[in-house]
Amino acid sequence: MDVSDILAAHEAKQKAVLVEKDIPLEVDSGFLTVTDLNTIDAESYEADLEEHLISTARDGVQTLIASLFSLPTTSSPDGPLAQLPPPTTQLPRAKPLPKPKPPTKWEQFAKAKGIQNKRRDKKVWDEEKQEWVNRWGWKGANKDKEVQWLTEVPANADVDYDPAKAARDERKARVVKNEKQHRANLARAEASSSSSDRKRDIDRTLAVTRTSTASLGKFDRKLEGEKPLKGVKRKFEPTEISASQEKSQNLAILSKLGKGPMTKKSEKSSQSSGGEVLNVRKAIRTVSKGKGSAALARGGSTKGKKGKR
Amino acid sequence: MRPLTEEESKTVFTKLANYIGKNLVHLIDRQDEPHCFRLQKDRVFYVSESSMRLAISVARPNLVSLGTCFGKFTKSGKFKLHITALDYLAQYAKYKVWIKPNGEMPFLYGNHVLKAHLGRITEDTPEHQGVVVYSMNDTPLGFGVTARSTVDTRKLDPTAIIVFHQADVGEYLRDEETLF
Repeated sequence: MDVSDILAAHEAKQKAVLVEKDIPLEVDSGFLTVTDLNTIDAESYEADLEEHLISTARDGVQTLIASLFSLPTTSSPDGPLAQLPPPTTQLPRAKPLPKPKPPTKWEQFAKAKGIQNKRRDKKVWDEEKQEWVNRWGWKGANKDKEVQWLTEVPANADVDYDPAKAARDERKARVVKNEKQHRANLARAEASSSSSDRKRDIDRTLAVTRTSTASLGKFDRKLEGEKPLKGVKRKFEPTEISASQEKSQNLAILSKLGKGPMTKKSEKSSQSSGGEVLNVRKAIRTVSKGKGSAALARGGSTKGKKGKR
Repeated sequence: MRPLTEEESKTVFTKLANYIGKNLVHLIDRQDEPHCFRLQKDRVFYVSESSMRLAISVARPNLVSLGTCFGKFTKSGKFKLHITALDYLAQYAKYKVWIKPNGEMPFLYGNHVLKAHLGRITEDTPEHQGVVVYSMNDTPLGFGVTARSTVDTRKLDPTAIIVFHQADVGEYLRDEETLF
């Protein structure tokens, strides 16, 4: 029994499936992408460009599909579904990197003194309760002094000294101070941003507010030294532009007119009788004796068919 | 005096194209001498380049007219053709209407063209189309807008209006003060 041609046929089949390249193709099945890093074969490229492109593309798709079939599958009513792995190709980010925030006053100070910033945990260990509690906030450790049942009172304290209230006031004062410092930091950051931007924003806002009254700012009280609002200045071509330049401009406008949307009038006239010999509107009026196309369709008369649109 | 802006040019060209259609190119792209459109006190003038250059040296309040007045812009920004544009309209007109000698005088007094006065009309003229009105010996008399298409005019009675009057050469006498 001669099996050589069966073997040859099988080999030919394998050859169609296997793709061999100098540099193996890079497959990213997560993005369903194949990258061919091989140099272009000048000979086949010159000989037949289409053929070359098609064969390169075929190799890539063959490799991609082979990689897809090697993926783990789950069965579904529509057939097996391959699980795509997470993509490996790094894509560039769409938006530019955010600008670094201007440093706060504390950060400036810490940098000047060489202080390393230690990040404090939000939770602290409470020895008495034997559990982790919040440093601040709900059941925070900073409120311990306000809720403890026994408090040491200083010797020179007033008669109406309330230790819980004193601790609370101190804590609230710290919050207020922190907010104040935060605001100051924000203001400092705003001041260090480019001043021309800020000036433009302010000018624009001012211009809008000045015309945002019922009289568009006409009867508002003028401040001393307030300049009148500047409108948009009309600009015209110089009177003595060369005739050839003007001609080309006019011809451009003319060509735009021809292409652009038709005016209402020309549209109407072309619709009614411009393009065709039959004036459809008039025809409908005549045939339906002035009742319109709807009446014509309802009547279902034999000659009404043509006029219906 | 200044050139038209793009918006103004569009308005003027659409109005002119209503009468002379594609022949408008011949006004812009002239073989003999380059011509241009200029605006002076809301009036549009069609003027040769050489006379436009001469007129540059005339101060705006002193400049009464130059070239051919084509019409004027109304305060609402529409463009109105004047009878002075008739020479160019008649030269390139696409659709024409000839009126009988007995209809000439009524038209020249500013009346619409009636069917009784209609001599000839260009075939397949659509409705509301700008047309130039001629006398039977091919003298242009004015221009107007058709009230009906050529096909529809056949069935009308003799007193029906065929062309709405827009301008006629009688205005040279009637509106002498305001025309230019």
